[in-house]
Amino acid sequence: MKILLVDDSGTMRTIQKRCLNKLGIEDVVEAEDGVRALQAFEAGGFDIVLTDWNMPNMDGLKLLQEIRSRNKDIPVVMITTEAERSRVVLAIQHGVSDYLVKPFTQDGLKEKLEKWMAVRA
Amino acid sequence: MTATMTAAAPLSMTAATTADYVNPVIAATQSVFEIMLGCTAKRTGLRLKQFPEPQPEVSCVIGISGRAAGTIIVGLPKEVACSVLERMLGTVTEEVTDEVCDAIGELTNMIAGAAKAKLAKYELSISLPSVVTGEGCLMHHPKSICPFEIAFDSDIGPFTIDVAFHVL
Repeated sequence: MKILLVDDSGTMRTIQKRCLNKLGIEDVVEAEDGVRALQAFEAGGFDIVLTDWNMPNMDGLKLLQEIRSRNKDIPVVMITTEAERSRVVLAIQHGVSDYLVKPFTQDGLKEKLEKWMAVRA
Repeated sequence: MTATMTAAAPLSMTAATTADYVNPVIAATQSVFEIMLGCTAKRTGLRLKQFPEPQPEVSCVIGISGRAAGTIIVGLPKEVACSVLERMLGTVTEEVTDEVCDAIGELTNMIAGAAKAKLAKYELSISLPSVVTGEGCLMHHPKSICPFEIAFDSDIGPFTIDVAFHVL
């Protein structure tokens, strides 16, 4: 299982990576914005993408659009502070697979990860 | 605790409007501290800031735009900022490192995001967080905006949140 983890905050990447490691996933590629994430994605081989929304250079919604133009099947989970219904709907319209609002509990994150790991297993 | 108002509110800032802005920020702050830091944040004061005052040593600013504009500023003494990093990642430090600034930026981002969701009627957008460090920095707001300072105490120490909104 190979995960692309995208967040401009190193703190949030560390929190999420630790959770992934606890679930037995060691193959995690980190990116701090959408541009670097897309470069990594194009190298291929990912099973799940976890992405923040608000980031410099390219935000998570644009990244989602770029990924969907290349791959319609890979699970993309948005992990973001954008909690309004209108924003969630917008992300769904652009093809997001799942959505987790920050702040999240460890159990909430684990639940999302396990769900999509089972789908890709 | 009863709110302490140290200056008269501008005519445009009715009590209802104040509650509209301030209560969602208080609720968002308490929720983020509970979930991300595992600690309770209690509001200890509320006042208007009529003049620029020195900020705490670590202050994070997030801009607000939409049908209201302004800023949310989370200010923490150095020791409290370091404790935020320790609570989030377990990393112990006594200095304001890049990691501390990143943690405070993300904490502020979550507070502003949660407050924004509670203020959906204003259709707000928030900027990326910027962290200012150092003693004695003064924050100058546009004259049309009179910021509220919400004071909190918590298991890791005191901190403040300045809410400076202007309805468009």
